[in-house]
Amino acid sequence: MASAPWWRIGWRNLGRNRRRTLITALGLAIGYFAVVFMVAWAEGLQSEMIENGTGLLTGQLQVHASDYRPERKIYDTIGGRDGADVEGLVRAVAADPAIAAATPRVYAGGLVSSGEATTAGILMGVDPQREPDVSRIMRGLVRGRIPSAGANEIMIGEEMARQLDADVGDELILVAPAADGSLGNDLYTLAGVFRSGLAELDGSYALLPIGSLQTLVALAPNRVHEIAASTTDPWLADEAADRLAGALARLTRDLEVEPWTRLRPEMMEYVRLLEGWYVIVIIIVFAIAVFGVANTMLMATFERRREFAVMLALGTTPWRVTSTVLAEAFSLGLVSLLVGGAVTFPLLVWWHNAPPDLSWLYGDFTMFGALVRPVLRVEYNAEMAVRTAVALLLTAVLASLYPAARAARVPPADTLSGL
Amino acid sequence: MTRTRRLLAAFLLVLVPTAAHGQESARDIIDQVDRILRGESSHGIATMEVVTENWERSITMEVWSLGTEYALVRITAPRSEEGMATLKAGDDIWNYLPRVDRTIKIPASLMMGSWMGSHFTNDDIVKESRLIEDYDIDYSFEGERDGVEVWEFLLTPKPEAAVVWGRIEYQVRKHDLMPTWARYYDEDGELVRTLTFSDFRVMSGRLVPAVMDLRPQDKPGERTKVRYGSLEFDIDIGRSFFSLRALRSVRR
Repeated sequence: MASAPWWRIGWRNLGRNRRRTLITALGLAIGYFAVVFMVAWAEGLQSEMIENGTGLLTGQLQVHASDYRPERKIYDTIGGRDGADVEGLVRAVAADPAIAAATPRVYAGGLVSSGEATTAGILMGVDPQREPDVSRIMRGLVRGRIPSAGANEIMIGEEMARQLDADVGDELILVAPAADGSLGNDLYTLAGVFRSGLAELDGSYALLPIGSLQTLVALAPNRVHEIAASTTDPWLADEAADRLAGALARLTRDLEVEPWTRLRPEMMEYVRLLEGWYVIVIIIVFAIAVFGVANTMLMATFERRREFAVMLALGTTPWRVTSTVLAEAFSLGLVSLLVGGAVTFPLLVWWHNAPPDLSWLYGDFTMFGALVRPVLRVEYNAEMAVRTAVALLLTAVLASLYPAARAARVPPADTLSGL
Repeated sequence: MTRTRRLLAAFLLVLVPTAAHGQESARDIIDQVDRILRGESSHGIATMEVVTENWERSITMEVWSLGTEYALVRITAPRSEEGMATLKAGDDIWNYLPRVDRTIKIPASLMMGSWMGSHFTNDDIVKESRLIEDYDIDYSFEGERDGVEVWEFLLTPKPEAAVVWGRIEYQVRKHDLMPTWARYYDEDGELVRTLTFSDFRVMSGRLVPAVMDLRPQDKPGERTKVRYGSLEFDIDIGRSFFSLRALRSVRR
């Protein structure tokens, strides 16, 4: 600890003008808070977007026949014309440690008609028991109940119900081109109406039990278009997809396992954009802070130029003088960090667990087809907190380089003689 | 027998012969061909074979038409689809579904959808017989093709016409005014589909192409082939026949 005196001198100098030290430290602390908090909020928005965007309907991971996307032809079922062991595949997907639940789906395009009104819809065959564990679409029920497996029952969005002027209990007719070239048509009872908050979804999706849709469009029970899955954490979807691609290949040929990062690339691009934006915020905030700290340190060193002159006259090397000033700046940075952390982290923990309602500021909005709630949701990002701390300390030290260099160059004789 | 026919029309445009020789404008020739093929009214029986990459099927149907505004098609085989019917009245199309005993109007957004799984669209059924109204018609060729004297016409949409094609090319044999083919291009000038007429024969005293073969350009090997087994013209049929009520009942 040969350098201990310089540290001690630096530290003690902070106490020389406590108010000034405190104000400077607060400036840095607020900068720290601003950066960490903005990043946490941006991550909260981002998580909100990802969870809503993938959790509403897509799921965090999907399995298809490799030729299914992007045309989504009704013929391109998993396993091709012969179909596949759907239950076996669903079990295999659900067995992955990162997967929370998995469910099969069938899709068809068709007409939904009630009385005089007819509209085009996307018909989605789901497993009413398992679907709610993968997506929230069926949980958005606003009237009636969920269709029962095996029954000719259907659930449509609120907007479609409005267009068709249909309500729970009404009979709906579905007409859909079937996989054998015929025109499938049948009567269904409207069991329930859902609201997702996304107009395009509420106006175009009709959900019915998977078996009922397979019958309508002449697909055998072992033919499905998709197995959708939810993950325990959205960021585990990529690795789960890689593992599953290998595991499922042993069960069925020509499969494609896609995580949401590839199914919804626009969301992923947005996440990358945000990460670039964090760096810019750090630079702006601390660039401003640099001048504040530099100003304080210049004043502090100018006040003490006689003291430095004495030290130099007594034989202290200029480098030691510089070290003293830098040690003071570094100590100031540490104090700021402690203050900033003491303010930031309790607040983050609080808001993370109980996000404040921001509906007075803005309403629901959608981003990339995902609903974002008006709450101040914050997410932890330890990496960014550490990076910001390093940036703060660097700022304090960088801002002191010039004052420190000036302090080391104080001319002892001239200064002490009063010039 | 003679003058009217239309069935075909239910699927496309058509044309026919009469006394047309050289002097008339291109538009007059098409109009004449169209009228002769369509007649005042018509009634016929046809089979439609559809071949796609994924399945092949054949359906038999009975077709009635009145003027350019009305047409009714009723499927008679296979048994699973017997009784399904399509009514065209003006710009609207309804399908009758016997299984659920309901009539459904096809929404505008699905006019480009397939009609009964074929390569014809609902729009084809509505727009058939509208060539003269919707297109400017010019000669693009007159002379011999494969030893037969023909006219070829270029149909370009009128600026205000709500049509899906960028242009249509249409070949007609001079000696009997029979159409031989029509080629449909999109707005980028790409060939989308070709309709070929063949098996010209006399039905109910009138020469008609008994077979129409539609092949989409982007799906090699796929086609829809309509063959008329019988066809009669100027039958006694009124507007009331083309009603939603009539759509539900099997008559005539």
